[in-house]
Amino acid sequence: MENKEKLLLEIKDLKTHFFTEDGVVKAVDGVDFEVYQGETLGIVGESGCGKSVTAFSILRLLDYPGKTVGGEVIFKGENLLKKTEDEMRGIRGKEIAIIFQEPMTALNPVLTVGFQISEALMMHFKIGKKEAINKSVELLKKVEIPMPEERANEYPHQLSGGMRQRAMIAMAMSCDPILLIADEPTTALDVTIQAQILDLMMALLREFNGSLIMITHDLGVIAEIADRIAIMYAGKVVEYADKKTIFHNPLHPYTLGLLTSIPRLDVEMKRLDVIPGIVPNPLHFPSGCKFNPRCRFATDRCKKEEPSLIKIEEGHLVRCWNVDKVVKEVKKGFLVGV
Amino acid sequence: MLSYIIRRLLLLPIILIGVTFLIFSAFSLLSPMERLANYITNPGALKNPQMAERLITKYHLDDPFPLGYVHWIEKLIKGDLGWSQSANQPVWEAISQRFPATLELVLYSIIPVILVGIWLGVISAVHHNDMLDQTIRVTAIIGWSLPTFIFGLFVLFIFYGILGWLPPGRLSVWAQDIVYTGVNFKSYTHLVTIDALLNGNIPIFLDALRHLIAPIITLSYISWAGLLRITRSSMLETLRKDYVRTARAKGVDEHTVIHLHAQKNAMIPVMTMAGMMIIGMLGGVVITETVFTYPGLGFWAASSAQQLDYGSVISFALLFAVAMVVGNLIVDISYALIDPRVRLE
Amino acid sequence: MNRILRKLFSNASSLVGIALLFIFIIIAILAPLIAPPLSEDPYQIPRMSWDIAPQSPGFLMSDNIRDIYTVMGIEIKWNKAICGTAEGGYDIFYGLIWGTRTAFRIGLITVAIAALIGVFIGSISAYFGGWIDEIIMRITDIFLSFPFLVAAMVLTTILGRGLDKVMIALIVFGWMGYARLIRGSILSAKEETYVMAAKALGVKDIKIIWKHLLPNTIFPVMVQGTMNIGSMVITAAALSFLGVGAPVGYADWGQMVSFARNWIIGSPGYAGQYWYAVFYPGIFIVLFVLAWNLIGDTLRDILDPRLRGEL
Repeated sequence: MENKEKLLLEIKDLKTHFFTEDGVVKAVDGVDFEVYQGETLGIVGESGCGKSVTAFSILRLLDYPGKTVGGEVIFKGENLLKKTEDEMRGIRGKEIAIIFQEPMTALNPVLTVGFQISEALMMHFKIGKKEAINKSVELLKKVEIPMPEERANEYPHQLSGGMRQRAMIAMAMSCDPILLIADEPTTALDVTIQAQILDLMMALLREFNGSLIMITHDLGVIAEIADRIAIMYAGKVVEYADKKTIFHNPLHPYTLGLLTSIPRLDVEMKRLDVIPGIVPNPLHFPSGCKFNPRCRFATDRCKKEEPSLIKIEEGHLVRCWNVDKVVKEVKKGFLVGV
Repeated sequence: MLSYIIRRLLLLPIILIGVTFLIFSAFSLLSPMERLANYITNPGALKNPQMAERLITKYHLDDPFPLGYVHWIEKLIKGDLGWSQSANQPVWEAISQRFPATLELVLYSIIPVILVGIWLGVISAVHHNDMLDQTIRVTAIIGWSLPTFIFGLFVLFIFYGILGWLPPGRLSVWAQDIVYTGVNFKSYTHLVTIDALLNGNIPIFLDALRHLIAPIITLSYISWAGLLRITRSSMLETLRKDYVRTARAKGVDEHTVIHLHAQKNAMIPVMTMAGMMIIGMLGGVVITETVFTYPGLGFWAASSAQQLDYGSVISFALLFAVAMVVGNLIVDISYALIDPRVRLE
Repeated sequence: MNRILRKLFSNASSLVGIALLFIFIIIAILAPLIAPPLSEDPYQIPRMSWDIAPQSPGFLMSDNIRDIYTVMGIEIKWNKAICGTAEGGYDIFYGLIWGTRTAFRIGLITVAIAALIGVFIGSISAYFGGWIDEIIMRITDIFLSFPFLVAAMVLTTILGRGLDKVMIALIVFGWMGYARLIRGSILSAKEETYVMAAKALGVKDIKIIWKHLLPNTIFPVMVQGTMNIGSMVITAAALSFLGVGAPVGYADWGQMVSFARNWIIGSPGYAGQYWYAVFYPGIFIVLFVLAWNLIGDTLRDILDPRLRGEL
């Protein structure tokens, strides 16, 4: 879209594979997207499509037997994949921070909340323990947790689910990171709290023009906050465009499937479409286009050749041979509103 | 947490009663004549059967089971454990005389169990599957495949038989003369090493230590091997947890990740296991002391069993069981204190 | 199942364990051929001489013993103590070979029966719950309050020497672990959604236990059992070593080592003179237990999904 805005993060053909005893799992096998300063990128896809692994790959937090085997992760002009572990440690928590999905397991049960929040500060800014705890209390206040002084001395199990997630946000934002990655931050929460958490994250980021990568399978959330969207399937980005384009002029059959399978109140719908079939087993991916077994527009070519990510128009990339057919479907008038 | 502790404390007397019941049941498998030996000092002096009969009735040895149990418990509560035929003294006295030696051995053995077991376990987990881990694992597996008595004999053979460095027993003869006669030597604690230091007597201190080393190595090997395995698997499991990834995601250095974030969690089950292992050394004490003729409770237990001194046998069973029950209670309570999730319910 | 077998044979340590075990099985089966018995009870180790002191390997049966056998009309099929004799002239080699059978008997029988008892008690406890569960668990606690060796010692002292008494003692104090294990498994499996689903579909309780609960909960018991075979054999050997286990002259490795305690230091000036009296039975015990432990350890790693290196 805009080149006037500063390009913060650029992912090029990222490949992360897991070398298990049962075979190589190509969890991420060609992911491309960009994040500009001050904007929100949404990464959407079903479970197992490689969204979380992408996030971990950016920060190089992969567990054995995972390994990033190809591509580039250009952050502020430098390739993170080429940095040393020490350098990465300086970036993690300070410039790029991550919020995990399940706050109960992501927080250490035997350390106080206050300590955990202050840890990044002590690590990156070398401040003393007392000062760090004070900052923790301030941060807890900022994320709207009542009685922050008491909370700081408590343990994670003593907080409610929503408060834990807020504490996670406080922890992630403690060093004012320029890029926040949120891996399904609201999936484990009640719907009512979801909205609050989202608002909170956006507000905090706006303070210093930070960017957000929002990973989720929930299109509703994406519709709320994303500026740009990357749709992922079977380890690859299959469509990439700004929000309006995705919702109004999707070009990939999978995107179309996703959009028509959510119930909508603003449009009259006769029935919910379902994407037939199931997500493929990463050990036995189909040949050709990974989506072809479930795609109603699939042709012979799709079964044999895997399409690459092609720029259809400015700022809109798609990985599909039959883009024209999707356009025809859309013209039939399925998508209105948003 | 409080309710948990109270519950455990309330169960204590019930378990103890059950223990006495079990012991008495085993004791009752013996004939009244056999059990009589526990009550009189010289059964060989029993000339006629009538005298034996009278004594049997006097000590309620042919009462029906419940009555017999009650009488036995009464005796127990008064602290009367009967007479030890093999030691030729009251059982209680035999126990209290030999207790300090065993206590000293066990206390010193705790150190290598905890230090080596936990320390190596953590290292093993961190170096998961590489050469160091494999080596440590093999050592540990050999550790719990090696029966204590075989290992003890091996240690005795090498360090005494061949090298002559570490003799069996508790003290050399010259040291025994000083310590047991009390000439210029006051036994404050009856733990010879401590007493030697308190008396400023370094030669005796060193002599006692020399005699302790081999038994300590033997007694602790199996325990630290077992503790190592538990520590290793606990650490491996913990290192896979989400919060360890969170710590790394914050940029925390690897050393802190392992030793603060992971270890603090991994140690919770390990600590309780360590407690169990130490208590479990009670069993190993019998063999170790026998191999090294170390004059403690274990040695006495083995010799009284060999000599069919039934009274002593059930007494030490009772003693060891009580020690285990109390020990387990302490371990359980400390678990509640260590884990904040239990502590702050 | 195939996966388990495949894993067992691909892991270096378990392969060693299996190989060792195989050798022991062969020895046990071929015992009558390798070391033909010289008396009615094959487990009675033949004596090569009346000497108290152990004799070195290669020792030939002394004449006075030969004469006794001839008088009794027993054919002397062999007369050389290949591994020497223990205190009292008992042939070590013979004891090693027949001791293998003893070891298998002790290990397999005690574990099997203890596991059966334990699983039975534990299942009842978990199934009924409530105060039945409480009582059974307290009883289990009471039995667990005794250090294993001490408890076995007490029982064998009271019951007398003999292999069967040893096994009884080991079983009486060996079932608790399995009871707790199966109880824990059943209790957590009870809460699993698939059990609730079966219940919701109206499947009868017995069927639930048999088809759903037991298969999934039996595996930890089997792993535990494998690992316990080694410790049962060690404890039995320890009891014999202490003199409260197998009777004197019985083909049991532990019993053979009990002789050795007095001789291990050797005679003055020649330390280790009687090394063979301890070494041979000792190495057999260690290797036997090691075999089971290696196999059990690998089984444990296999059945623990967390250590499988999954995503």
